[in-house]
Amino acid sequence: MADEGKGHPADAVAPPIHLRPAREADLGAIVPLLLRLKRLNEEFDPLLKVREDAERQARDIVRSHLADPKAVVLVAEGLGADRDKVVGFVRAVVRERPFYVPEFEGVIVDIYLLPLYRRKGVGEYLLREVSAALKAKGAGVVTAEFPAQNEIAVRFYAKRGFRPITSIHARSL
Amino acid sequence: MAETAPVPTAAPRAARKRPRAAEDAEVDRQREGQTELLGRRAIELSRFYGGKIETVPKVPVRSLHDFSLWYTPGVAAVSRAIQERPELAFELTGRWNTVAIVTDGSRVLGLGDIGPRAALPVMEGKALLFKFLGGVDAVPIPIQVGSPDAFLSTVEALAPAFGGINLEDIASPKCFGILEELAQRLEIPVWHDDQLGTAAATVAGVLNALATTGRSVREIRTVLLGAGAANLVTARLLLALGHPAGQLALVDHRGVLHAEREDVDELMVRNPWKYRLALRTNGGGRTGSLESAIAGADVVVAASTPVPGTLRPEHVRAMAPHPIVFALANPVPEIWPDVARAAGAAVVATGRSDFPNQVNNSLVFPAVFRGVLDARARSIPDEIVLAAARELARGAERKGLNAHHILPTMEETEVFPNVAAAVGDAAVSLGVARHRLSHEEFLDRARTLMGRPARLVRTLARAHLTAPVPRGPIGRRRSV
Repeated sequence: MADEGKGHPADAVAPPIHLRPAREADLGAIVPLLLRLKRLNEEFDPLLKVREDAERQARDIVRSHLADPKAVVLVAEGLGADRDKVVGFVRAVVRERPFYVPEFEGVIVDIYLLPLYRRKGVGEYLLREVSAALKAKGAGVVTAEFPAQNEIAVRFYAKRGFRPITSIHARSL
Repeated sequence: MAETAPVPTAAPRAARKRPRAAEDAEVDRQREGQTELLGRRAIELSRFYGGKIETVPKVPVRSLHDFSLWYTPGVAAVSRAIQERPELAFELTGRWNTVAIVTDGSRVLGLGDIGPRAALPVMEGKALLFKFLGGVDAVPIPIQVGSPDAFLSTVEALAPAFGGINLEDIASPKCFGILEELAQRLEIPVWHDDQLGTAAATVAGVLNALATTGRSVREIRTVLLGAGAANLVTARLLLALGHPAGQLALVDHRGVLHAEREDVDELMVRNPWKYRLALRTNGGGRTGSLESAIAGADVVVAASTPVPGTLRPEHVRAMAPHPIVFALANPVPEIWPDVARAAGAAVVATGRSDFPNQVNNSLVFPAVFRGVLDARARSIPDEIVLAAARELARGAERKGLNAHHILPTMEETEVFPNVAAAVGDAAVSLGVARHRLSHEEFLDRARTLMGRPARLVRTLARAHLTAPVPRGPIGRRRSV
């Protein structure tokens, strides 16, 4: 990752969560968080309107990713009163880039934290850990997908050395 | 003084022992009838007088020669002086005492988005109140704008003519962004009455209601029903007064606001002010409907859409002993005062003048502007709003607090200069005042300036310069 090793302020304070790889038993907790994220995306663009069967889709996709060696799904559990409660997750996949080097790209497709866990360095920690996991799976570059209008995400990634590399532009048909 | 809200008067209903639905419906019908009569009369009188305000010279004009002083060539020197020292505009022109009442007409009274043209009569009425109660010259400026950015740039462009900006009747939540941004950009005080005026009056009432029932804001549990402009600011002010954040809960049409509510991310994007409160309040993480939040609450402040029965007797009965109930929707409160009292409410306040304890922003905005204009304040931080609220509460206290008198009435006019002076003092101590007057100076000035308009109005009437209100039907007659 671009700014790895620079030493983040968050390094000093332990984030108020426990991060671990997701298991089948976490599905029930991950799916509602994933749906929250997709509904948040809907706020930014009408072309991101959430499908009626999104819940079933989410369950199927996350389940298949749990078994997929090319995917990473991590869950953040709270501490203290929120112990054992899944308060956030990150999901990423390694994709091949047939024309470019590095040949493999780790794509963060979902990253979500419940509001009370935001602005505490947890997102940064998630990003660092998922980047390391993607690197271990052969990715030479990490990217993040999110709605172009989501300025909070734009700022979050820009602060951590990310820049736009590919733009996807859309219009309705 | 005429009451602010043109609500019909009715005999106090407190004496009735048991509320009866049929009787309520009859009273509602009567009130609706009276409102309709008042409305017709208002149209006739508005036509008769051709609006409510006009510009009157404040200098003598002995002969046309005087215009060489008031206008060219003499005025050129005044302009040059201001060009050299812009702050002289506050001494050499009426800017020191002139406020713009700006609206886009997007949320006027209970009428909704009626647009700037239809908002003008309301802004004229507000200008009348500004002058009559605060001695402030206010100019109604409804503007036709397509976006918040256009609103901002328009007000910014208008600012050189004004000593302050009163934002009015702007839809929530865009009103929050507009107020914050203008306060940043402008060097004159900016106020949004639907947020700050209502919240300040509410907080004053809550403080005194707590005093009459022997409680402190630092130990209570409060439910705010309705999460619009006023209640979001009421929440902020209560928290600033030391209300435990965890024991404050907001409830809206989607139920109790909490950090994990389904719409919380939508709020983050569309209403960050409400989002921040979602994260900060409701420590127990209560979820669900009003019932779950109100159990054990000491205070409920309902400022929602005027639907009777939004608050029900069983809600009041579920509260802590000696519950305090503010039902502020107009014209129909969320619960009728006698119903609330029958359910055990110790103190009840409404937005109406025909019941005791009217929470009325006219108790606040004229005095706040008097104070900030006299202090020539750069801004109106929350501490000033709280100073106004505290002084308003003290004003009621001086006349004796009881369950039916937690706020001054509009007739207790001696309170207003005190509030203005408290506002001036706060501006000085916060370092936002350009005029650092003493308390006595603020008070004297406020008394003089706030007392003058009533005399002016009486004098104009006596001299037949204001036509008397015609008796009986007016039809389409005009005074001019």
